[in-house]
Amino acid sequence: MKIRAIVVDDEELARALLREYLAGEEDIELVAECGNGFDAVKAVSEHQPDLLFLDVQMPKLDGFEVLELIGNEVSVVFVTAYDQYAMKAFDASAIDYLLKPFDLARFKAALAKVRQRIAARTPSDLNASELRERATAPGQYPQRIVVRDGAQLHVIPVGQLDYAEAQDDYVALHTRGKTHLKQQTITSIERALDPERFVRVHRSFLVNLERIAKVEPYTKDTRLAVLADGSKIPVSRSGYLRLKELMQI
Amino acid sequence: MHPIFRNAQFLRAYLPAWLPIGLILAVVLRISTRLSWLEVVAVITPLTVVLAIVCLSAWYLARSFDLRTTADWKLFAAFMPAAMCASTVVMACGHVIVWSLGHVFPALAARFHPAIPVLAAMFCLVYLLAIMLHYLVLALESSQKAEILSREAELKALKAQVNPHFLFNSLNSISALTSIDPARARQMCIALSDFLRNSLRLGERASIPLSEELALARSYLEVERVRFGPKLRVLQRMGEGCEQCDVPPLLVQPLVENAIKHGIATLAEGGEIAVTGERVDGLLRVTVENPFDPDAPPAQRTGFGLAGVRNRLEARYGSGGKLEIQVEPALYRVLLWMPWTDGQSKAG
Repeated sequence: MKIRAIVVDDEELARALLREYLAGEEDIELVAECGNGFDAVKAVSEHQPDLLFLDVQMPKLDGFEVLELIGNEVSVVFVTAYDQYAMKAFDASAIDYLLKPFDLARFKAALAKVRQRIAARTPSDLNASELRERATAPGQYPQRIVVRDGAQLHVIPVGQLDYAEAQDDYVALHTRGKTHLKQQTITSIERALDPERFVRVHRSFLVNLERIAKVEPYTKDTRLAVLADGSKIPVSRSGYLRLKELMQI
Repeated sequence: MHPIFRNAQFLRAYLPAWLPIGLILAVVLRISTRLSWLEVVAVITPLTVVLAIVCLSAWYLARSFDLRTTADWKLFAAFMPAAMCASTVVMACGHVIVWSLGHVFPALAARFHPAIPVLAAMFCLVYLLAIMLHYLVLALESSQKAEILSREAELKALKAQVNPHFLFNSLNSISALTSIDPARARQMCIALSDFLRNSLRLGERASIPLSEELALARSYLEVERVRFGPKLRVLQRMGEGCEQCDVPPLLVQPLVENAIKHGIATLAEGGEIAVTGERVDGLLRVTVENPFDPDAPPAQRTGFGLAGVRNRLEARYGSGGKLEIQVEPALYRVLLWMPWTDGQSKAG
């Protein structure tokens, strides 16, 4: 059985180089090439490859977002020119990566590791959102959240997120009257977002500070946050303390 | 807290620096009274220490009144009472010292009496002098800080100039081209060298004609065009006389670089960067405009590149230069405003 591979890079020349190197590997078959993250996610579900060469900085979806959406079935080798935080994150998560420009020897070394992993069928225990968090420069936060809904992909700019609600293994992301389900814990979403903009007002609720219209008393210890669109969210005692600190009331 | 307490060395050097003032006070005391030298030394030594300590309070005065923005009469109204207060405090301590020395030197207080007015006046003067010196120290400190800041800004600008991501991606393209199309690989090597050489050369000069800055941006785009192919399109439109205007180097090129990094590179289908120069209200206005992916909001775009350009523009022209950002739904525009100059710096 040949190893089926997909190359993802927005630059034609970078893809050409990988194509050339891969042509010398008899046990690897290049099944698709993609120029952006959207196409990559589509191609992965279409071709079910074993191996993905993934550029980090790309239009539409970056490499980390692609990884988040395709799950852990595919072995990934990241390819990047220079990004000090991404490189640290790869090292910390023991991920294979190639630094542009790379020579054939370095390429073969990375492939050797991949073959071992594919042959051993070692399941990857990689956590994509954790990796992404590590790869983000301190003080920077992602500007969007990607959600996969069957074959459909949704990109939600964080400014459009009204609030997030924990539902078992999922988080319901509420944006402009629509709800998207994503398989992630609310704590990991909270960690990824800017703490100045999103507050955990309750064990199960994370809210966009800009959306809060008013906070009214509910029971003895709890309150309700009323959002601009009228939705009501429970606020716990400790959540109210956090809210108060951020809104300086 | 007074800066002198931050460093034990300063504190150790501070008191000996008062020796000459102590000597002058001693001579004045000796002349204005009939005290013996021994008595003079016994009174003046502790008194000088007290004076030295009281004078440190001038630091707070110097810090709270800015010489440039405070009216003269206000400075006068603040400093004179302060000096008198300080003098009174020191004089009171002087009385205590003289009184306690009375056990050793008989009738010291009575003999000390005639020196009070002249000593009080001298304390006033010394205190005013201390205020002046503190202003000097503050001015020195702030000028050092400004210098460090400007040097840091320069360093950052130079570092940002050769963006490692750009450099390594370009080298990767060359590596790919060596087997596909050797002639194009060579062409790209040359375009990359041209750009690096030009940015080094222009970065050393204080002012360059806009035409040279545009040529630098073009040599940058030349490299990027190999990477992006037809995805990258550029439109340049310059009004009459614009290209002869003098501008600080490396202002436009970073904007073009940003336009690619945050604009064209985020779009799967690419787009067009427009660079425009115009004379508006007697000022030179250079505009760099690019489309961007509305799904990737440009929140992080006030990063290093733009901040560096803005700082250097303000450092050069003060309020005469300005960087303006306009964001439309899918279009990002940066406007640079600079004084209109008719080319002084020679081309080349």
